[in-house]
Amino acid sequence: MKRNRIIAFMALAFTVSMLAASCKNSNSTAADDKVTGQEIAELAYAPMVPKPITRTHATNVIVNLNVVEKIMKLSDSTEYMFWTFGGAVPGNFIRVREGDEVEINLYNLPQNKLSHSIDLHAVNGPGGGAEASNVAPGHTSTFHFKALNPGLFVYHCATAPVPMHIANGMYGLIYVQPKEGLPAVDREYYLMQGEFYTKQSFGFKGFQEFDEEKGINERPDYVVFNGSVNANAGKNALPAKVGETVRLFVGNGGPNLVSSFHVIGEIFDKVYLEGGETTTTNIQTTLIPAGGAAIAEFKINIPGVYNIVDHSIFRTFNKGCLAQIKATGGRDTLIFRKN
Amino acid sequence: MKTVIAILFFIICGPCMSQPNKNIAASKMVKIDGGSFKTFYVSKTDKPIIVKPFLMDEHAVTNVEFLEFVKANPEWSKSKVKRLFADSNYLEHWKTDFDIGESNKNIYNSPVVNVSWFAARAYCAWKNKRLPAIAEWEIAGNAPPKNTAYTSITNYIMQWYEKPSLPVLPNVKSTYCNTYGLYDMHGLIWEWTFDFNSFISTGDSRNTTNDDNNLFCAGASINVTNREDYAAFLRYGFRGSLRGDYCVSSLGFRCVKNIPITNKL
Repeated sequence: MKRNRIIAFMALAFTVSMLAASCKNSNSTAADDKVTGQEIAELAYAPMVPKPITRTHATNVIVNLNVVEKIMKLSDSTEYMFWTFGGAVPGNFIRVREGDEVEINLYNLPQNKLSHSIDLHAVNGPGGGAEASNVAPGHTSTFHFKALNPGLFVYHCATAPVPMHIANGMYGLIYVQPKEGLPAVDREYYLMQGEFYTKQSFGFKGFQEFDEEKGINERPDYVVFNGSVNANAGKNALPAKVGETVRLFVGNGGPNLVSSFHVIGEIFDKVYLEGGETTTTNIQTTLIPAGGAAIAEFKINIPGVYNIVDHSIFRTFNKGCLAQIKATGGRDTLIFRKN
Repeated sequence: MKTVIAILFFIICGPCMSQPNKNIAASKMVKIDGGSFKTFYVSKTDKPIIVKPFLMDEHAVTNVEFLEFVKANPEWSKSKVKRLFADSNYLEHWKTDFDIGESNKNIYNSPVVNVSWFAARAYCAWKNKRLPAIAEWEIAGNAPPKNTAYTSITNYIMQWYEKPSLPVLPNVKSTYCNTYGLYDMHGLIWEWTFDFNSFISTGDSRNTTNDDNNLFCAGASINVTNREDYAAFLRYGFRGSLRGDYCVSSLGFRCVKNIPITNKL
């Protein structure tokens, strides 16, 4: 009898230790990963996204980002002095893998006037890298972080006055791809919403300056995707084919507005809520906070033009917040037809 | 309205109207009233800084003026300077050690840029002067323009930041003159101060203290006396990004000196 108890106890102890071991496995943190090798991150400009990472181990990723202050088009007839990561708004899309050790080299071009920095929401640590990266024109700052949390994150300049640096276009996205990756899709695109505060109102022809008071009052003149009116509409619409599944990596740089992100004529088959792990299905409009992101996927069934909007719809109708997908291919009249 | 008229009066009659280009290298100094100075960015326990009256160069040190210094002190020439005291951008716009370059003729009387804090300090010492403290520079720089139209000094400054750098840096005295008689305090270049990064860290500048994050992220809004002074934010943020050996294409300097006790200015 006593012997049976001992055996039972030992069996119990064995089971407990096995459970503990398996728990440890399923909860293994990125910090446990062995980091091997080194690579330079492939950066993409909106609306493109760097191709999915196929390697199955963590590595040292070097990200070389340039800060560029330059005049660009805010619309066909309006120019603006943008402050940018990589010479474009939004800034370069960065793609790394969960567990990677990331080195950020931020080079502030010599002809720039101001100091800049970068705060990546993918960083665990005070300031998200901001203090470590504050850099004068003509110089480079470097800092490292480990990508512990998978998901889609905003990065932005965090040098004072932060609202002005963001309002002038200093934001972008970094995707920390989960270890297991994402299901393959046919197309991935990068969209980022942001608003601009100009001295004159929407549609003014010529050079426009930043209006601090409108920024403080949260009354933008322009709300746009990818840095300018019609950046990805009309002849610059995003191409797709009927039958394809499209994945949109969407960010909102703000600095003030929260986006009611919606694609007219589509239902999101899947949304990674706020760019995190939780997915939900069959969504019409997903909320993207300023300084937040979401991943939206949908299969295109019918050819035609799909308008991508902020469904806080005055922003689309009067302030420029429109992008488009142009889908080509055969028509399925069971799904949609006009009588 | 009275102010506007007063400003107009100054525009017409003020001494700034005469621009003696020929004697630009004479580096005249003007008297700056001292006073109590509190940065726009302070903690509630900070006491105002008492600034004594001082003399300040009416314009930034020019390339021609700096060349004289380099000729007299060859250890500060491009090829001789110690890397510790000036990074590789040092005077990179000059042709050679002792020649600004014939093709650079139009910047002879422009502010010298691409100079480190160490070099600027050495120049001032050579002139029996010194670099201004932040408090001195800010008191001097906050005086309103008297020969240009503006709505507020902040708006005036912001216009400079919102335009790209010009391909050729204009000469000194090419922008506005303020009520002290100082030229180009804003809108031409940034200027070194003696204690340029002291506000950002009480210990050293390697982020070892807790008070150095106040200019970043939302921390910036904690202790600020004037949250809307974006120009000051940009200026302080810029200073905080510098190190003593940095040479930047938009960063120069001017000197100050104490008022001698016998001097009756």
